[in-house]
Amino acid sequence: MKKSKLIRYSFYPILFCLIPGVFILFSCLPAFSGEAGLASRIKNATQKMDKKNQVEASIPKMKHIIAVNVEDQGGTFFTKARKVEINRFKCSACHNNKSVAIDNAARISHADIQVVHGNKEKSLACNTCHSEKDRDFLVAGEGTKIDFDHVYDMCGQCHFRQKKDWIGGAHGKRVTYWAGERVVENCTSCHNPHSPRFEKQWPKTYSVPLK
Amino acid sequence: MAQNIFRSVKIDKEDLMDSDKPKKINRRAFIKGAASTAIAGGAAVTAGCKGKGLLGSSEAFALEFQEYFKTHYRLMTQIEREKTVSRLERIARLKQDMDIKIDTTGPSEKVLYGYAFNVTRCEGYMECVQACVKENNLDRKSNTQYIRIFEMEHGQMSPDQGDGKYFHMVPKEGHFYMGVQCFQCDNPPCVKACPTKATWKEPDGIVVVDYDWCIGCRYCMAACPYWGRRFNWNQPQIPREEITRKQHYLGNRQRVRGMVEKCTFCIQRTRKGKLTACAEACPTGARVFGNLLDPDSEIRFVLENKKVYRLKEDLGTEPKFWYFID
Amino acid sequence: MKKETTLKNGVSFIKDILLWNLSGSIGYQIYLCILICLMLTGVYGYVVQFKLGLSATNMSNIVSWGFYISNFTFLVGVAAAAVMLILPSYIFNDKDLHKVVIIGEVVAVGSLVMCMTFVFVDLGRPLQFWHLVPGIGQLNFPSSLLAWDILVLNGYLALNALIPAYIVFCHYQGKEPVGKYYKPFIFISIGWAVAIHMVTAFLYQGLPARPFWNNPLMGPRFLASAFAAGPAIISLVLHVVNSATDYKIDNKIFNKLRIIIVSAAVINLLMLFSEIFKEFYFPTHHSQSAMYLFFGLEGHNSLVPWIWTAISINVLGTLMLAFNPFRERQVFLMPALVLLIVGIWIEKGIGLIVPGLVPSPMGEIISYSPSHVELFITIGVLGLGMFVVTMLLKPALIIEKRYEDMVGPHQ
Repeated sequence: MKKSKLIRYSFYPILFCLIPGVFILFSCLPAFSGEAGLASRIKNATQKMDKKNQVEASIPKMKHIIAVNVEDQGGTFFTKARKVEINRFKCSACHNNKSVAIDNAARISHADIQVVHGNKEKSLACNTCHSEKDRDFLVAGEGTKIDFDHVYDMCGQCHFRQKKDWIGGAHGKRVTYWAGERVVENCTSCHNPHSPRFEKQWPKTYSVPLK
Repeated sequence: MAQNIFRSVKIDKEDLMDSDKPKKINRRAFIKGAASTAIAGGAAVTAGCKGKGLLGSSEAFALEFQEYFKTHYRLMTQIEREKTVSRLERIARLKQDMDIKIDTTGPSEKVLYGYAFNVTRCEGYMECVQACVKENNLDRKSNTQYIRIFEMEHGQMSPDQGDGKYFHMVPKEGHFYMGVQCFQCDNPPCVKACPTKATWKEPDGIVVVDYDWCIGCRYCMAACPYWGRRFNWNQPQIPREEITRKQHYLGNRQRVRGMVEKCTFCIQRTRKGKLTACAEACPTGARVFGNLLDPDSEIRFVLENKKVYRLKEDLGTEPKFWYFID
Repeated sequence: MKKETTLKNGVSFIKDILLWNLSGSIGYQIYLCILICLMLTGVYGYVVQFKLGLSATNMSNIVSWGFYISNFTFLVGVAAAAVMLILPSYIFNDKDLHKVVIIGEVVAVGSLVMCMTFVFVDLGRPLQFWHLVPGIGQLNFPSSLLAWDILVLNGYLALNALIPAYIVFCHYQGKEPVGKYYKPFIFISIGWAVAIHMVTAFLYQGLPARPFWNNPLMGPRFLASAFAAGPAIISLVLHVVNSATDYKIDNKIFNKLRIIIVSAAVINLLMLFSEIFKEFYFPTHHSQSAMYLFFGLEGHNSLVPWIWTAISINVLGTLMLAFNPFRERQVFLMPALVLLIVGIWIEKGIGLIVPGLVPSPMGEIISYSPSHVELFITIGVLGLGMFVVTMLLKPALIIEKRYEDMVGPHQ
């Protein structure tokens, strides 16, 4: 083949291989942007935000919540009140030094509660947590009274790591909303204080053996 | 010389035509007959279908006809979006006798969603899976689940060594549990792979699919390193009373067969400030969800105070789903 | 006056094509009936699939691509192989191969039609294909390799359909085709053929999620297996043309094709060895796919007999084609070609797609074998391809023969 023809005819394949090749390389460019993306975006987001207007939706005010007596990283936060959940609060209605006539006392007595808390040899006793002097409160190790709504102070005596995580947000659960005022579940919202470990159960559903 | 060739060609043709004339007429007649039968048959079938109501009422059909021609969600004006939403709601009313509400809330610029999973706390109860199936109107017939929980033996951390099909009392001795779902990557390979741009990353970090724009080529499914995407192999079947009525166009609205779908961090809930269905359902509080841009959020606390890791980090997909241990 | 005659010639061209296609010996008519039966099987399969959705296939969320895409991958290679006829005849001015270039291009058109049909039946929502068309839809170019693939395949189809159409039309009118109109496009199509198969390989190669596919050897391996299987299929077509029609093809052409096939087949085997070494010398979790393919995993071993058969017949076919005692005799050439084609079809089709997807990215394993619906539709599409090739080839050969008789043997 003549040299000029060869040059002329090879121009097209070279053109049609180089240009797509360059295009494909350009489509690889995002790979070179590196780790700069997500991690630095999160690190640089240090400006405090208003809890209320992160999303354009109104978060309804929740009922039966109390302010926690310590602050989290964002200030005051709330947890669920527990006294409303206890059916027969106030305990002092029965547990007092007066003689009281109670209907169905045998049925509603709770001396049969099994305490599975602590290890087998040295399980917790009822009066480890419940104040003998005032049944409407719990009692801390040094004798200070703890309200049922602030049960986290009780649990946090031993489970201080979980309490720290709970204040920060790594333990426990928020109630329904991720935005708006921070309302979290209280300790006893999830854990039965007399048997706090979650029970073994069957899974709620199963994943199909695939075809 | 050229003229001669031309003429010789012409003669050949004429010879051919003459000798084949009876055959040609028969062939022509046959083709004509076949064509007219086909047209008549086609018309009859269409008319029959319409008459029997197989195509639904004519109003629903007309609405679906309009829906076929709509453009990509991102290119729609607000008016077009409202129109398509009203069409979809009307179709649901006509075909399923149901009132639904399809939302088109956009992203908030202050928000970037993040998720953390506490591997110590998960007990394998799969309440998250059940909640997700109900919330997102997933097909019950094929048991589609966005979330998969793996039962792992102590001593390994990669879910591909785990068992995703367990069904026994949980938690099992010597095992722990971890869940995977779409991780809403910040550098999503599925978005890069889609040939029609039917899937994209929203500014608030959620990778969404415009279901009606998807052609079902499933290239995104091949591209996802976390098995995050599902395909509607059959027409989804959901019991009527279990259908979630509050829907989002890019989220849990009802899909038809042939489109790809995935976890959208419950976009219909999270853009209204609610937790995802899985995070809300988890009884042990193993799932943490929030705004990565809010320095006071729980997710930021987890990232800053806990030992977190992500799956297949070496692939550079930048997932926004971290795992941590207490 | 010139335009009028061209138009008149065009009309009679089309009429003659239809006539030639529908007339012929009784054997030819039976052959056409068989093809139509195959196509009707495909139509039946597709009706079932359209009714049930893709759940009529055995694909699942793990094996999300199956038999259709396997066949698509193999056939894109066959389409690219037309370049192995064009390259010698136009760049090296090989006169023998120049005679059969048209057949190669027709086979390329047939396999491209099959490829596009396979993609169409594999789509979840084929009626929404217009979403891909730039202008009325959105094409994710240049990010998505699938968008690239659509463009290059359609471009190649246009090149391979229009260039021979122009040449054959000129020959029909008894004219010599004008070099400067088509020769640049021939040269473009050489580079384009390599591009279509590299782009198809990049579809798989560019996915870091699939370690079985994510290796740099996919592109070159695809080319090697394409240039082995494609010219082998073209050789088979040439055999059929040689024996069934009076368009005679010289033995020299078969020998030249054989050399091309053997070279490509040997390179393919070398690349296969390289891949096997990488997977099995120090097996990692990334080698699980290769383990599944060659040895089976956790009791799932449906692909094991297939791949071992494929490799053995691949090697056997290559040896049969390469060595002396067999190559002079036609009786061994045909079976060797068939062995090679089937071997490459298995290894590049189902032996590439399914192991790439199994185990899933989360380590779950599943068996896959095509369902009845997939088989019916595949048969239909193959029938369609053969039908297209026959419809295009018969008139083309008649016109070429007539032109050759007119002007004497090709210069």
